[in-house]
Amino acid sequence: MIDVKNLSKDYVLKRKEPGLRGAIKGLFRPDHRIVPAVRDISFHIDPGEIVGFIGPNGAGKSTTIKMMSGILTPTGGSVLIAGRDITKHRKEVVRNIGVVFGQRSQLNWDLRLGESFELLKHIYQIRQEDYDRTLDEMDRILGIGEIIDKPVRQMSLGQRVKGDLVASMIHSPNVLFLDEPTIGLDVSAKYALRKFIKEINRVRKTTVILTTHDLGDIQELCERIIIINHGQIVEDGNLSQIVDRIAPYKTLVVEYYDEFAPEHDRCEMTEHKGNVARYRFMKKDLTAAEVIADLSKKKTIKDISIEEAGIDDIIKIAYES
Amino acid sequence: MKNLFRELIHYLDVTAHVIKMAVMTVIEYPSNIAGWLISNPLQFIMGFAIIKFVVESFGQINGWTYGQLAFLYGLSVISHALSMIFFVQGWFMGYYVIEGEFDRYLTRPLGVLYQFFFTNINIFGVTDLIPGILVFLYGCVKCGVSVNLTFLVQVMITLIGATLIRGGIYILLGSTSFYTRSAVDFGQYTQEIMDKTTMYPLSMYPESIQFILTYLIPVGWISFYPAASMLGTEGVRSGLTVSLVTLGVGIAVILIAGAFFNRGLKQYESAGN
Repeated sequence: MIDVKNLSKDYVLKRKEPGLRGAIKGLFRPDHRIVPAVRDISFHIDPGEIVGFIGPNGAGKSTTIKMMSGILTPTGGSVLIAGRDITKHRKEVVRNIGVVFGQRSQLNWDLRLGESFELLKHIYQIRQEDYDRTLDEMDRILGIGEIIDKPVRQMSLGQRVKGDLVASMIHSPNVLFLDEPTIGLDVSAKYALRKFIKEINRVRKTTVILTTHDLGDIQELCERIIIINHGQIVEDGNLSQIVDRIAPYKTLVVEYYDEFAPEHDRCEMTEHKGNVARYRFMKKDLTAAEVIADLSKKKTIKDISIEEAGIDDIIKIAYES
Repeated sequence: MKNLFRELIHYLDVTAHVIKMAVMTVIEYPSNIAGWLISNPLQFIMGFAIIKFVVESFGQINGWTYGQLAFLYGLSVISHALSMIFFVQGWFMGYYVIEGEFDRYLTRPLGVLYQFFFTNINIFGVTDLIPGILVFLYGCVKCGVSVNLTFLVQVMITLIGATLIRGGIYILLGSTSFYTRSAVDFGQYTQEIMDKTTMYPLSMYPESIQFILTYLIPVGWISFYPAASMLGTEGVRSGLTVSLVTLGVGIAVILIAGAFFNRGLKQYESAGN
């Protein structure tokens, strides 16, 4: 569905020196510096995949997704959507994509929500029966029937995002790009958005590409994640496999009746504070039951809990690399 | 050819719908209409009153009589109004560049400049149109212009060309934001300069300035040369020729501006979240 080949983007940054003197100097001898935001990345996305882009702020996620959706012109490389280069054939290729960018709305602020959809119907030249069918389906998934006659300026953020989601799907695109869609949303709006993504992916086989900082989004939606840092792909693959590879351990948290905590020869004691000790062990070598059994032979245990390495550990490790 | 025709129908269909939405938006805020209906015409009627005062005090401006000045002034205000309807958004292009507002246009299957101007079509500009037409008709009557078909065609062609020249200049100025990455609100300055160069006879300026305003920044073609040729005030009457030159200059300016805009758009950086 999507082929990204050797994609790069450089930004030209004007460096300014402090003070009036710097400002004047900058006026006559501007100091241009080229900052690579995305460096030579390549990947392939199959039809019907949901792919999550994660990475710290300024890592190049948004730049990548904006090049993929035709907004930014790449410095090098290409983005093919269904085999067509989006930079060269923008008007044709964008008929096949929908876009929702977190804090930015494409809805008309002054008019009722339905008018924004009507405009898109004309822009994408959608036949009336297809338009009606799509709106019915969207109403079933998101329940927009109750807000369609409301002026957009009077909507809550959650309602507005629903409106933007429907607007992005009016022309039934095969690919949907979402740039930090859950930013600022409350729990129920987040839930509705995730349900929407799962539904359109299941029913319409829509390919979904999203960037997010919300670990819940990733756990709920993405089988595949691409971790980007410093403009390069750090990890690309199946979520659970990446977790297993980067963090192949669990942590057993044990509480004793006093401050003495025994060592375990095949575990690493990562922390010991008061009566509580944390033992980290490799999943492939040991089970939690074995560790508990070994420790309880040495000392009486009061309480235990097990911590799985999660997506946040992965991100932390990936971000630090 | 068939594809081109289908594309034209597509654009016309969207344009009709966009105008419908603009009217709905106006109706949504009825108090704005009253304000615009009063303040905009007033501005131009005051401007015209000043000309009247000047002419009455000094007799003529550079050989142009009061009626002829009204003709010129009216012609200029009409094309100004048309450019306000279709191209006023150009004044704010810098903000669109800085705020990343071009994103939505780039992800839709229509030309970016078309969407930028037409989805923001400003039907309030009509309020400038009315005083323009009134003053122009007044000038026609005063000068005893015979309103025949040739004259109407001349005026139409001139207005299209003049509107394109104004629009093209807005695009050229606005597109600089892609390169400077800063939003400069040039609207007020441009309007001042355009007013001073299109509402009065260009021949009253020194020759060097006339040269600049004819060939380099071709605002002379917006109203001065067409009016002069229609009225014969500068000693030349030329039928359709001058109007066609205005149209040609308008098309040239808009094409150059479009190319400059598209080049800038490649450097568009959107805005971070």
